[in-house]
Amino acid sequence: MALACLALYAIVSAPGDARAAEPSLVGAPAPDFVLRSAAGSNLRLSEQRGDVVVLSFWSSRCNVCRAQLAELDRLYATYRPAGFVVLGVNVDDDVTAAREFAAGQKLQFPLLFDPTKAVARAYRVDALPMLVAVDRFGAVRFLSRNDKPGAAAEYVPALRALIDE
Amino acid sequence: MRNRKTSISARRSVPRIRVADPARQGRWLTALTMAVVAAVLALGGLGARAQGAAVPTAEPPAEAAATDTRGIDEETQQLKKDAIDLNRELFMLEEELLFPANTQVAVFVSMDVGEFFALDSVQMKVDDREVANYLYTEREAEALLKGGVHRVYLGNLKVGEHELVAIFTGKGPNQRDYRRGATMKFVKAVGAKYLELKITDRQRRAQPEFEIKDWE
Repeated sequence: MALACLALYAIVSAPGDARAAEPSLVGAPAPDFVLRSAAGSNLRLSEQRGDVVVLSFWSSRCNVCRAQLAELDRLYATYRPAGFVVLGVNVDDDVTAAREFAAGQKLQFPLLFDPTKAVARAYRVDALPMLVAVDRFGAVRFLSRNDKPGAAAEYVPALRALIDE
Repeated sequence: MRNRKTSISARRSVPRIRVADPARQGRWLTALTMAVVAAVLALGGLGARAQGAAVPTAEPPAEAAATDTRGIDEETQQLKKDAIDLNRELFMLEEELLFPANTQVAVFVSMDVGEFFALDSVQMKVDDREVANYLYTEREAEALLKGGVHRVYLGNLKVGEHELVAIFTGKGPNQRDYRRGATMKFVKAVGAKYLELKITDRQRRAQPEFEIKDWE
């Protein structure tokens, strides 16, 4: 019986999408990266250790991203003194368009450019906007792919809890 | 009409057979192998149990089955461990054959003074092939100015003559964008090779200077 169960388990667990077999990012150390920012300086994720970091992957063509970036800007202004950092990671091929978008938005937090998509690949970005929350120890705590208008109500309490930790 | 039905059913069955992903195919094969092994073992176990029915044993059947399962688990684990060990040994053998320790080349970046240059990035090419492209953050640049040395590249090169091209970008005098290159031809002999990309200030010309130093 046990052997039959083993065989059944092997058959059931064998097929499936290759992505499903990949270990989840949540709970794992956040992949480190260094990217050029809109301000001109370079920013490395590991240098933000000790702060709660939110990575927001965005594109200048994504309208929902604008709303999320604006919401994150409000949060950044409120919680910055408590050790809260927001990094907006742009995934556009054309950095010029992204720079124009960044200039128009007048956001307070750093906007980074990832034209080669190396960082987006490391974080397995499959939807925009995508939000990744990294705790003070550099571990990924949760992801949000919710692009609905009320998405902030979902991730803001979780971020507050992270800041309070 | 019958022929048509046959062709439709054949067409329908095609996507089931086609497995594009090799990893998925591999998993299916593993699953099938495991299923066949499990079935063979189960049949073997049934046969043994049927034989054992005639000869009474001291072990109760439930305990014997548990021991069997445990034994198979241990064997499977051992097989997996052996496969991993073998893979590691093969990998190390391949590494030793292809990249012996004495082909090692390391390139370091150092900075002195930094009055006329604020380092932003270093792009490095060896024999026209890009091997490193490193962006320096403010903290890293500060660490270099305090005397730190950063290993920007570690790789292997064949014995012989090679060309190293390093392109430095940053802010030059008067906060202007600055981009300079340094080239060096070096001979890789047997033994590790260490090179240093040095950024210094040339006070007389009020300009930064870039040079590549060979650590003999």
